[in-house]
Amino acid sequence: MTKYWIVFKKSLKSELAYRSAALWGILSAALGFLIQVFLWQALLGSGVRKDTSFPDMLLYVLINSFMLQLTRTDVAGIIENAMIDGTISMELLRPISYKGYMLAQTLGKNVYGSLTATLPVLGLSLFFLSGAVLPDGVHILLFLLSALLGIALMFEVTYLAGLLAFWLQRCWFIWFYLRGIRDIFGGTFVPIWFYPEFLEKLSYWLPFRYMTFEPINIFLMKTPASQAWVSLLAAFLWLAGLSFADQMVWRAATRKLTVNGG
Amino acid sequence: MKNFRKLSGSFFRVALRREMAYRGTFLAGIVGQWISYGATFLGIYIMVSGFHVLGGWNGSEMMMLYGLATMSYAIGASFFFNFSSGLAGRIRSGEFDASLTKPIPPFLHEVFSAGYNVGYVSHFTVSLLIMAAALCSLSYVPDVKSILFLILAIVGASLIQAAALIAASTMSFFSVGSNPIAEFLLWDVKEFTNYPVTIFPKGIQFVLTFILPFAFMNFYPASVLLGKDIPEGYPAILPYLSPLVGMFVFALSILLWNWGLKYYKSTGS
Repeated sequence: MTKYWIVFKKSLKSELAYRSAALWGILSAALGFLIQVFLWQALLGSGVRKDTSFPDMLLYVLINSFMLQLTRTDVAGIIENAMIDGTISMELLRPISYKGYMLAQTLGKNVYGSLTATLPVLGLSLFFLSGAVLPDGVHILLFLLSALLGIALMFEVTYLAGLLAFWLQRCWFIWFYLRGIRDIFGGTFVPIWFYPEFLEKLSYWLPFRYMTFEPINIFLMKTPASQAWVSLLAAFLWLAGLSFADQMVWRAATRKLTVNGG
Repeated sequence: MKNFRKLSGSFFRVALRREMAYRGTFLAGIVGQWISYGATFLGIYIMVSGFHVLGGWNGSEMMMLYGLATMSYAIGASFFFNFSSGLAGRIRSGEFDASLTKPIPPFLHEVFSAGYNVGYVSHFTVSLLIMAAALCSLSYVPDVKSILFLILAIVGASLIQAAALIAASTMSFFSVGSNPIAEFLLWDVKEFTNYPVTIFPKGIQFVLTFILPFAFMNFYPASVLLGKDIPEGYPAILPYLSPLVGMFVFALSILLWNWGLKYYKSTGS
């Protein structure tokens, strides 16, 4: 565990070197948030649609963007570069799981940026959040558990897709597929509450809705505590299934990998 | 002029060949862009249709807004994306110095040698599809005048997109590190253009019209074509000026770039 903690800290530290980048990150997050504020104000006003009010939407935007930013990573690109310059052979020699290494690196890289981007926005949102209903202790606990699973699931899917880099010449496009499919089936762009019925039903068959949408449902108490186990279990099963799949893929990848030079 | 055509033709062929070297990647990338842009578009459509109307615009009209933004980006970026995103790299490696020694203006040589980006054919096709679907579902009957305006508006919008890319790259003359201002200008601010500017407060409407005139890229042209309201108190002629605004900011961005060039110091490598 200490090994991963070291990777996490190193990756965090290298991010802290670029203070001005954080400043732009804050500005960018604030702007993005403001756009959502005006957008949903225009759509919802003071009304309620599909059991969702304006403050609900703001909480959705806040939690969603924080979770997305925390897990944002380009595993495919990292593997691609490591294969081109040969450092992959070094990385494979390390007595550390490559997946754990990637996870620690991703979180370390993102934790600073996503916190500095979210906290000012959270402050900003207090102006708009007066009517919000905040969850009770049980829901908060369930939300934290569900969010943890969601974050793990998001990383898992990105990692699994990233492993495709071992078979492709170039892979900058993997991210586009991933983002598109996640936005459609995960409700990470427009929440699934407003989806037409067939698309909503379809989303139950894929892992994406358990990433940020279901945790938010628990936070907003749209999913009562007694029902929360369904989405928690689904997220856990997806995570277990995909973890198994990535081990298979990893084994196949390392078997086929040939490193040129380095 | 004849030389110019010959020159741009041969530069274009080189770019195409470079791109087609990895044919599989190229095709996979195009499909990926379809999915990614399609998802954003689908999201906006679902959202607005669910609520029937956003600031007076219905789902199909929003498609037109998104289609115009995507198409103008496709055209503008196919000529200027490589140029803009690669400038810092070329300065760092010293390749940029070659452009200063050629018998054509450095700006032109940079644009040519950075190359046309064939990949934007994906944005172009998806936006064409979106706009066609939008006009069909609105049962829009076009006349000669509105088609002519649409074409001019797309040219103007593409020039605005190009201008944003050129202006953003000017930063590279001052610092070759990451370029957060470019990111901010090209991605964060442009997100406003997904929605009609009339839903935003007065101040933002003013900025998007007169300071960073992204509203002329899709909002004003679409409001002419679909007969939508423009922000209160703005002159009625304003939306019709979209093509001119495009030319104006494009010229301005080249001036800015050449001004930045004066401050350029070679890295000497």
